[in-house]
Parts: sequence; structure tokens; C-alpha cells
Amino acid sequence: MTTAVAAHGLGVRFFFDRQHRVVTPALARIRRRVTDLWGLRNVSFSLAAGDGIALVGPSGSGKTTLLRTLAGVLTPDTGSVEVRGRVASLLSVEAGLMNALTGRENALLLGVLGGLSRREAKRAVADIGERSGLEEVFDNPVSSYSQGMRARLGFAVTEHARPQILLLDEVLEALDLEFRDYVVARAEAVRARGGIIVAAGHDHSMLARLCGRAILLQEGTVSADGDFDDVLSAYTASGASSSGDVTGA
Amino acid sequence: MLVSLTLSDLRARYGRGPWQLLKWLSDPFAVVGIYLLLVTVVLDRGGLAPGLSIACAVVPFQLVTMAIINGLGALDLRGSIILNMRFDRTLIPISSAMTETVAFAASFLLIGLMMTAYQVAPTTAALWLPVVMGVNFLFAVAFAYLASLIGLWFRDLRPFFLSFVRALFFLAPGLVPLSLIGGRANELVKVNPLTGLFEAYRSTLLYGHRPAAWQLLYPAAIAVAMVVALVPVYRREQRQFAKVIG
Repeated sequence: MTTAVAAHGLGVRFFFDRQHRVVTPALARIRRRVTDLWGLRNVSFSLAAGDGIALVGPSGSGKTTLLRTLAGVLTPDTGSVEVRGRVASLLSVEAGLMNALTGRENALLLGVLGGLSRREAKRAVADIGERSGLEEVFDNPVSSYSQGMRARLGFAVTEHARPQILLLDEVLEALDLEFRDYVVARAEAVRARGGIIVAAGHDHSMLARLCGRAILLQEGTVSADGDFDDVLSAYTASGASSSGDVTGA
Repeated sequence: MLVSLTLSDLRARYGRGPWQLLKWLSDPFAVVGIYLLLVTVVLDRGGLAPGLSIACAVVPFQLVTMAIINGLGALDLRGSIILNMRFDRTLIPISSAMTETVAFAASFLLIGLMMTAYQVAPTTAALWLPVVMGVNFLFAVAFAYLASLIGLWFRDLRPFFLSFVRALFFLAPGLVPLSLIGGRANELVKVNPLTGLFEAYRSTLLYGHRPAAWQLLYPAAIAVAMVVALVPVYRREQRQFAKVIG
């Protein structure tokens, strides 16, 4: 099976109640004065084995929503998304970790939720502790970890799953320089073995190291799709770049 | 996956170490103590082994209420995972009920203590206990699904829902057994499925005879009806969890 990702006319819609809180479509049907907003609208693209693609755009443009849809965390309301390959995702600085659990317990839980048997996950835990470089604090609650430590642990868990498709959202920005180099090296290895990297964030120099192609998202739609530098130039020229964007090396 | 979700839930909600047991036991002991004082001293309506009779209602009710409390916050507790990866979220309410079942099992120490204190020896009717506990668990699972949906749909109403469920305890023979409730009220409280559940525990542990069929079948039927109605809704709504939580 060849690794591939394809989106066709993808749309994700959010409904809000009077207090501007998100409600489910089922509840929206029976509530009055509900407003809606398309987080993604008519998004189409395709990725082939070995691709690395960066999602750029201002905050609220739909980058995280698109990554969550590719991860299967969100379901499209219109259109379709086809993902062929084993997916691992790191979609927030929380890195999918539960604060009350230790690093070891989180690694075990995420391993099982990721498809390993409990026995396999137990065997994997020591390796994850070593890869993350957190052995000394592996039995401490994650609530005592810094964002960088969480990202290290989260990445080590996703890496252990030997993903064919790796989805990364802003997590990279929490990492220290040493571990960034490690992530870049591992991401390159994923691509080299025919995998796909999709990464989003505002640290464009980091994204440039991971991806040769970029998609510019604005208000939930694709504004540009192509070579990373060209898309970044279009983004900068549009005047929509966020104050949080980091472009320099 | 269910075991992993439950173990993580246990640690997240109750911590680790020897204090865990104390946390599980403190609530049912305190509740039974207060109700026992209320019934025997204030109301002067004890009946047969009042402490054991109350424990036969408080302990199973504790499982239901704790599964509801857990279910109401279950999606928030696991929000970071729900937002990060795809997995079968249908198991979350079941793991909520299983987490609280561990605490429930620990609180059986209270029933044992009460049986010793009132010198009530177990009879062969106690063999029905696994069946009664099975119905109790099914009831807790059904309410955990309902609680998860209410926690998702009506976040502001969580405390009211919990108050409503707590009121059901007093609309059932929780403080005094069914035999001490007279007149039309005796028939009316049977509409509450908790009545059958409480009386089934009393039958097996206090009165020493097997529970009447209605005591098990009625709450089981209500629980099955709830599960059949709610699980498809939950499965449909789980696609929206990340939108609401995120």
C-alpha cells in the first residue's frame, strides 16, 4: 500500500450557541439563535509518498482543524479525506498527555490507544523513555514537565509507532534546539522511507527544514499551494502574517 | 484499551498509594454514618439492622453517582488525548463505570463491617450477589453514557443533573427499607428503578432470601433500554467531541 493523503472539497463546520460556545450539530438543530462558521471550506490537495508539506497562515486560519481532520480526530462535514498509511500525530503542546499521569503511564496509555497491545506497549515504554531523554523524570507526573519535555515525550511516543504519516502542529516550537535537530532528522527518515510529513506552525525556518512544499490557509480556504518559499512569500506579501510568525533562521 | 483507560482514570482521579483506599472508603462511610444518625436518632425509624439496610442502598448508589460524576467530566479529563489522536471513544463511559467499580468493591468493606456489627450471617442468598452487582454495574454504565452526553451538550447543567440523580435516592427506599414505607407511596417508589436495586441488595445480604424477579429485571430493563437508546447517539456524537472540547 502506497502512503498517500488526499482531500477533496473538504469542509468542517462549527456551530456556536448564544454564548459563542461550540455545540454539536445535533444540538444546533434544536437550539435557537445558533450561528455557524466554516473552519475549513472546499479544501482540496493531495500528498504522495515522500512529501513534506507545511501549513502556514494566520492564527484561526484552519491549520489545526485541517491537521485534526487528517488525524481522524475531526470528521469532515462536507467533502472527503483519504488517508492511506499509519498515522501518528502531535497536535498540541499538551502532546496528548494527561497531566495527572507520569511519563511512563502516559507512554503506556498512548501506546495502547495507538493500537499496541498492553504487553507490546509495556515493552515499548523503556525505549520511549530513552528516546525522549526523560528517563530521570519518567516516573514523575507530566504536570511537572515543561512544554519542551512534553513535546519530547509526545514525539518519542509517536516515533515509536513507526508512522508513515506524521502530523505535527506547533509542537516543534516548544522544543529546545538539540531536540529540534533530532526531530528534523527523524522526520527526514520518515520521508526517506516513503512517508509523509504534514506540519503546521509559525516558526517558518523550522518548517522549511521539514517541508519542501507549503499550503497557505486563510479563513479556512487554500490561498496558495506550492513551493515552500513561494507560498511563504505570498503569505508575507498578503500582509496577513501573524505577529507570532518567526521567519528567520 | 478498556483496561488501560480504566487504570489511567483510576490514577488521574484517585492518585496512588495507600491513601487511595482511604479516598474510596471515606465517602460511603461518612454518608452511611450521617444517614444512620438521621434514621435512628432523629427520625427514630430504624427497622431491622438499620446501618446495614442503609449501607445496602448507599454502596450501590455510590457506584451510580460516582459513574455519573466521572462520566460528566470524562471527555474533559481525556481532552488532550481526544484532541490529539483517533481512538474508539465509545469505551470512555464504560471505563468511567469500571473506575468507580474498583472504589465500589472497596466500599463493600463497609457492608462487611455492618454485617459483623449487627451479627447478620451471610446465607446462600449471597450467591445472588454477583447478579445483583452485575445489574448495578449495567445501571452505572447506562447512566455514565447519559452523563457523558449531558456533559457534552449541556455543560452548565451538570450540577443540576447530579442533584436530580441524588434526589432519586430519596425517592427510593434508601434510608428505610421498602417494608417500612406504607400506603400508596409503597407502590409509587417501585417506579424508581433504584428501589429494585436497593431491595435486591437487602434481600441477599440482610433478609437472606433471593431477590424478587422485579427487583432485578426492572432496573436491568431500564438500564438496557438506556444503553440501546444512548449508545448510537453517543457513537454519532463522538465525531463532534474534538470540536466541543477544542
